[in-house]
Amino acid sequence: MPFTHFKTQMKRFSLTDLMSLRKKKFFRAPQWELKLGVRIFLGFVVLYFLAVFLSLGIGGYYLLSKHYPDTDPILLINPFLGFYFAVDLMLRYFFQALPVTEVKSLLLHPISKKAIVQGVLLRSLGSIFNALPLVVLLPFCIVFSIENGINFSLWIWFLALFCLSLSANFFTFLILKDNKKAAVFLVVLLLGYLLDYFFGLSISAYFARGLDLIYQNGFWALVPAGVLATSVVLAHNFLKQQLFLDKGLSKKKERIVGSNLQFFDRWEHMGFFLKNDLRLIIRNIRPRQVVLTGVLFLFYGLFFFTQDRYFDLPAALVFSGLFITGGFMITFGQYVPAWDSEYYSFLMCQNVAYRKYLKSKLYLMMFSVVVSSTLALPYLFFGSKVMLVIWAAGIFNFGFGSMITLYSGAFNTNPIRLNIKAKAFENTQNFSFIQLVFMLPKLILPLLVFYLPYQFFGFSGGLLGLVGVGLAGLLFQKQLLTLIVKTYQKKKYQTLQSFSKSVS
Amino acid sequence: MIQVTHLTKKYSGKVVLEIPDLQIPRGQKFGLVGNNGAGKTTLFSLLLDLIEASSGSVSINGIPVQTSEAWKPFTAAYIDESYLMGYLTVEEYYHFLGNLRGVAKEEITSWVQDFEPFFNGEILGQKKYLRDFSKGNQKKAGIVGALIGKPALVILDEPFANLDPTTQIRLKKLIQEEAEKNSTTFLISSHDLTHVTEVCDRIVLLEKGVVIKDIETTPETLKQLETYFSN
Repeated sequence: MPFTHFKTQMKRFSLTDLMSLRKKKFFRAPQWELKLGVRIFLGFVVLYFLAVFLSLGIGGYYLLSKHYPDTDPILLINPFLGFYFAVDLMLRYFFQALPVTEVKSLLLHPISKKAIVQGVLLRSLGSIFNALPLVVLLPFCIVFSIENGINFSLWIWFLALFCLSLSANFFTFLILKDNKKAAVFLVVLLLGYLLDYFFGLSISAYFARGLDLIYQNGFWALVPAGVLATSVVLAHNFLKQQLFLDKGLSKKKERIVGSNLQFFDRWEHMGFFLKNDLRLIIRNIRPRQVVLTGVLFLFYGLFFFTQDRYFDLPAALVFSGLFITGGFMITFGQYVPAWDSEYYSFLMCQNVAYRKYLKSKLYLMMFSVVVSSTLALPYLFFGSKVMLVIWAAGIFNFGFGSMITLYSGAFNTNPIRLNIKAKAFENTQNFSFIQLVFMLPKLILPLLVFYLPYQFFGFSGGLLGLVGVGLAGLLFQKQLLTLIVKTYQKKKYQTLQSFSKSVS
Repeated sequence: MIQVTHLTKKYSGKVVLEIPDLQIPRGQKFGLVGNNGAGKTTLFSLLLDLIEASSGSVSINGIPVQTSEAWKPFTAAYIDESYLMGYLTVEEYYHFLGNLRGVAKEEITSWVQDFEPFFNGEILGQKKYLRDFSKGNQKKAGIVGALIGKPALVILDEPFANLDPTTQIRLKKLIQEEAEKNSTTFLISSHDLTHVTEVCDRIVLLEKGVVIKDIETTPETLKQLETYFSN
C-alpha cells in the first residue's frame, strides 16, 4: 500500500509575516495607545540623541583637524576604539536578550529552524548599539570626504569598523545564555584593562595599530570582514542548537539565594515584608537591572561636583543630591505595586491590609535612602558644603520624596514580568506618562523647597527648607499614608484588571 | 457564611453574571459547575473582591467584601498560579502565608509534614523556586498553601485539573477531611462532574451567568448533570 502523501514542503516564513506578528503584538497589548504615545515621546528623545551624535561626528572632524592639523584624524581616533568596543560588548551583554517567548510560539509550526534563527539574527540588527557607528562615524566620514575628496581607504576603514560592530552584535548571542562563558569574557576584559593600566601592555594600542594598518592598506579589511562572517556563522549555528526547550529556551535553574535573612526578623511584620522584597530583588532579573541603575545614580554627583560652573549653582548641587540619595528610591519605587503584579490578586485576598503592605514598601524606600546617604560619604572629598546638600536632600527624600513616589505608584497599572530582561530604549512597557508627570513633584518641588528659602535666608536657609519638609513628611506620615491608601483602594480593580492581562 | 444579593456583573453592557440570591451556609462543600464562559471564575472573583460588581453585594460572615477587608483573615483561595510568588521556595511561601495568618514558622513546618502523601515527595525540600515547578506541582503547593491557618472559607478554582489521578483522589480525601475536622466551607469549581459530585454536598450549575440548577447531592446527581450537559 502506498504511503499517504503529506505536504512536507514548508512555507517560507517571511520577514513580512514576522513584522505583521510584531505589529499585532504591539497594537493588541494592554494600554497600547499609551505605549504609542510613549514611543513617540521616546522617538523625540532618540532624535535628540541622534542630533547630538551627528554633531559629534561632524564637529569631531573639524575639532580634530583644528587642534591637530598635521595628523590624520583617523590615526587620532583609532587608539580609542579598542576601549569603545570593550564597553560596547559589555553593554550589549546586559541589554541584549534572546526573544524566548516569541521563538517558543513559532517552534511548533511548520517554520524551519533556519528561518526562525534568521529572524532572530535579523531583528537583532535593529538594536540601538548597531546604529551608533552609523550615526557618529558615517557623518564623520562624509565630512572627511567633502573636505578632502573621496578617499577609498577611509571608506574601507569605516566598513571595517561597521563589520566589527556587527560582529559584536552576533558574538553577544554566544555568551548570553551561558554564565560561565560570560564570566570568562568579563575576566578577559578586566585582565585586558589591568594589563593596560599596570603593565603598559596595551591591547587597545595593538588594536589601534591593526586599525591603522587597515587604513593604510585596505587589503587588511578582509580580517574584520572574516570576523563578521565567522560571527554570523557561529551565532547562527549556536542559536540553531539552542532552539530546544531544555537548552536556550529553558529557564535557567538557579541556586537558591537569600534564604538566610534572619537579620530582618527582629522587626516583626515590617522586617518580614522587607525580607520578601529583598528576595524579590535578588532573585529576579528585572529588579536586579533596576537596582543596578539605582547604584549608578550614586555616581551622579561626580558629574556635577567636578565642574566649577556647577559648583556655584546651588540648584545643581541639590539636584544631584536628590539623585544620589534617591536613585534607588525613584527607580524601584516608581514601579510599586507593579513589582507584585504577577501575584497581585493573591495578595489582595490575603490577610494583608493595604496600609501594611504600602507601609512596608515605604519603609523599603526609606531604608534605601539611608543606605544611599551612607554610601555617599566619600563625597566629603568635595567639601562639607556638598556633603550637607546631599544629606539635606537625603532627609527630604527620606521623609517626603518616598511618599510622593509611593503615591505615584497608585497610578501605575502596567504589569512587570519579574524575570524578563528589559531592553535598552525599549522599556516602554513600564514607562508611562503618569510617571513622567510625577517626576515634576519629585524633582521640581524639592528644588522649590530649597530655592525659596535660599533666596531669602541664604544657603543654610535652603538646606533647612529641605530638611523641614522631610521632617514634616515624617511627622505627618500617618495622615499622608491614609491618603495614599485611599487612592490605592480606589484604583484597586483597575490595577487588578490590567495586571491580570498578560504582557509579553 | 456567604450571602450574595442581587449580584450582577456587566462587561460593556453585556450581562455575564446575574445572581439574585445565593446563600452558602458554614461548613458546606459547595460545588460550582458549568461550561466555559458560564461565569464560574467571575463569581469567585466577585466573592474575593477582585473585580467590581456592577450591582448588588457579597458578604462573607456578614462582612460586605467591597467596603471592608475584615473577611480576609479567615478566607483563603487558590485560583491559579498567579496566586504563587514565583521567586520563593515552597517553604518560604508557606512561611509567608503563615506569617500573614498568624501561624508560627515551626508550627507550619510540622503541620505541612501531614501533607507528604498528597505531595508525593515532589514539593517539600526541593531546592528550587516555585516558578520552576511543573504546573501540577505548583497547584499542589498552592492548594495546601490555601489551607494554612485553618481558614473558615476556602475557594478553589478547578482544583482537579492538571493533577495526576492519584493526586486527584488524594485531594478529594483531603477536602473531606479538612471540612470534617475544621468545618471549613469549601467552594469548588470543576469540569470533572464525577469528582465534584463525590466531594460536594451541594451543586450549583451556572450557564451564561445564571443559576440553572441548585441541588443537594444525591446518588442520582451525577446522572442528572451528565444528562444536562450532553444536551
